Amino acid sequence: MFKKKHVLLVILIIATLAVSSLTFAQEPVTVTIFVGLGTGTSPEQIPPQEALQERFNSTHDDIQIEFLIVPNESAHDQLTTMIAGDNAPDLVGPNGVSTIAKFLDNWADITPFIEADQFDTSDFYPLALELNAYPDLNTGLPLGLFPSYIYYNVDLFDASGVDYPPSDFDDTSWTYDAVRERAMLLTLDSNGNNASSPDFNADDIVQWGYDDSWASTRELLAPWGFEGVGRPTNEDYTVAMANNEAWVQGLQWYSDGIHVDHFIPGVDGQAAMASAGIGTPLDGGLVGMFHSHTWYLTELGFDGLLFEVQIAPVPFNPAGGRVAPIHADNFTIPENSKHKEEAWEVMKWLTAPEQIVDVCLIYGCIPSRQSVSDEFRAALEENFPGLDYDVIFESINYLDAPNHESWVPQWGRAEDTINFAGNLIVTGENTDAQAVLDEANETIQGLLDEYWANQ
Amino acid sequence: MLRFDIKNWSMEKRESAAAYMFISPWIIGFLFLTLMPMATSLYLSFTDYNILDAPVWVGFKNFEDLFQDPQFWGSLKVTFSFAVMSLPASLILGLSLAVLLNQDIPFVKLWRTLYFLPSVLSGVAVTLLWVLLFNPQVGAINAVLAIFGIKGPGWLHDPNWALPSLVIMSLWGVGQTMIIYLAGLQGIPTDLYDAAKVDGAGMWRRFRSITIPMMSPVIFYNLVLGIISTFQYFTQAFVASQSVGSQEVGGPVRSTLFYNLYLYQSGFRFFEMGYASAMAWILFIFVLILTILIFKSSPMWVHYEGELRGRS
Repeated sequence: MFKKKHVLLVILIIATLAVSSLTFAQEPVTVTIFVGLGTGTSPEQIPPQEALQERFNSTHDDIQIEFLIVPNESAHDQLTTMIAGDNAPDLVGPNGVSTIAKFLDNWADITPFIEADQFDTSDFYPLALELNAYPDLNTGLPLGLFPSYIYYNVDLFDASGVDYPPSDFDDTSWTYDAVRERAMLLTLDSNGNNASSPDFNADDIVQWGYDDSWASTRELLAPWGFEGVGRPTNEDYTVAMANNEAWVQGLQWYSDGIHVDHFIPGVDGQAAMASAGIGTPLDGGLVGMFHSHTWYLTELGFDGLLFEVQIAPVPFNPAGGRVAPIHADNFTIPENSKHKEEAWEVMKWLTAPEQIVDVCLIYGCIPSRQSVSDEFRAALEENFPGLDYDVIFESINYLDAPNHESWVPQWGRAEDTINFAGNLIVTGENTDAQAVLDEANETIQGLLDEYWANQ
Repeated sequence: MLRFDIKNWSMEKRESAAAYMFISPWIIGFLFLTLMPMATSLYLSFTDYNILDAPVWVGFKNFEDLFQDPQFWGSLKVTFSFAVMSLPASLILGLSLAVLLNQDIPFVKLWRTLYFLPSVLSGVAVTLLWVLLFNPQVGAINAVLAIFGIKGPGWLHDPNWALPSLVIMSLWGVGQTMIIYLAGLQGIPTDLYDAAKVDGAGMWRRFRSITIPMMSPVIFYNLVLGIISTFQYFTQAFVASQSVGSQEVGGPVRSTLFYNLYLYQSGFRFFEMGYASAMAWILFIFVLILTILIFKSSPMWVHYEGELRGRS
């Protein structure tokens, strides 16, 4: 009897272990997707993300995804806390280039995954692949793009008798000089005199020809033809080059546009627009041309506009080239994620041709895959009819790489330094672009020297 | 064998034990929520710490870098300028209002409530309200100035006027200081004023020779608290600078980059927590020294009732 009890006990233990190991083996891995550093947190975006989650989970047995949607204002601190507390999520996004740069040391490199899977990246826009790839680190597959171009108020152009900006990308007459000429004709005081007129009263402007106030200083200067494009240093980040000739020229053009020719609203003008309750520069009808990105379509209040809007390419720079600054989103895998392989599978799924259009419709970006551009274009045309969509898709080919949000050593301080230089110009504290960029360059060189000394 | 026999404790010992038990929640809170974070911050001030990776000991490097950092000195200058403008103004305005509201005027309680009410409201909502009032185009302040033919400045949008704008904003909350002065005024014995009137002292002489000396302890109290709060100024500057123009922290062009704002920026925007911790300790030491100096100077100008000077 004693032996029988022991045998039964052993059988019971073995059976329990077998069942539990079977259970553990079958339990799916949950990949947490942290959303909040960029888009994805507005109430309208939550149900489609939940639907996407359901779609993935119903078709995958070994991996489940769970969106962790955090308000934008607290997302930065929450992610920092999670990573510092060894509780990092498995995927973070959609992230812009700046967010990726800010946390650069904390992302996993997906190059080994690409090589192991022999993953085919040929369908992605080639330049898009470069945006978040650094010499020793590829932070993620491109998800979506937000190319930039000029939005213009057709009615204001008609009222002033000014020719529209050309939509032909090969029209080399569309330069920054041409922008200035047309913008001055569109800039009016309360008596209807334009900025080219000797009777123009610069203290009483009611309409401006051009605005770029939503751009950072690096974005303002990236189109101007510097070999580093949007990067204020040389290729290996050892020499500061923020005071290069092209950037000085660009910043001086902007300074003159505000303080000499008055076709760009300065601080007072921006305050006037803000105080009038105008949500964005263009939709108040006070600006003729506004440089922005595709995400601006959702901010513009397109349906309620009282005037016609059209779009045109970014102009040619003095060097004869064209650069259209781009914003780009992707998902990234934190280095401290405990499920990197599974996160990679989810990243591939999100950016696969079968899903990427739906994902990008949630986040308002253009899919980075060339093969789905027609499908997405049809969706865009349905929501925002009448625009010249050739401009949008062609502008992708002129994106800025290195990007104006890309990483540089001591990214936060470097950004602050360059933006401070831009703010000196905008406020009129110093209207000499060479002087402000020389000072910024000296500061950035100090930051670079300090960074490399500590490596 | 250790014996813990409370029954044999003296009354004094029992009362001490009871007292410690009653204050133990505070002691625990102080230890874990104040002292330990302070000690951690002190340690971090000697490290290179970016929050996401482990701290790396660097000795006094953060402090050396701070003293060579133009933005550190710039933020100190902004904070000092604000203190020089706002502290005397709030002390004088608070005392003046208290003296006025200490008179026998109709509806005096209503006036006291109205002047005190703004100090109860604070924070983000009030700051946003002031941002609207200061709007150079449509704000009420410039609209009132325009009635008198004055073209108002850019206020928070103008680097030369942003700091004075914050001073004006801070004066709106002077009610708290006023109430403390009012309590002090009502504690001054009236026979002093009666005696002064008999001796022929006018209103200004009575104010200068009786009110001010008798109020000096209250002024001293408000001065110390005012200095501490001025050097901790953060919320209004942060919200105001983020609500205008380029949304630059401490803008426009760092004209409102207070010391605490730069500390926040260093720690949470630039991920330099060690550097920010060093800033915090420098601030602590500086305010401590300033407070000690004020305390040391107090015998020269603070008069406590019943205190005899120069007499044994």
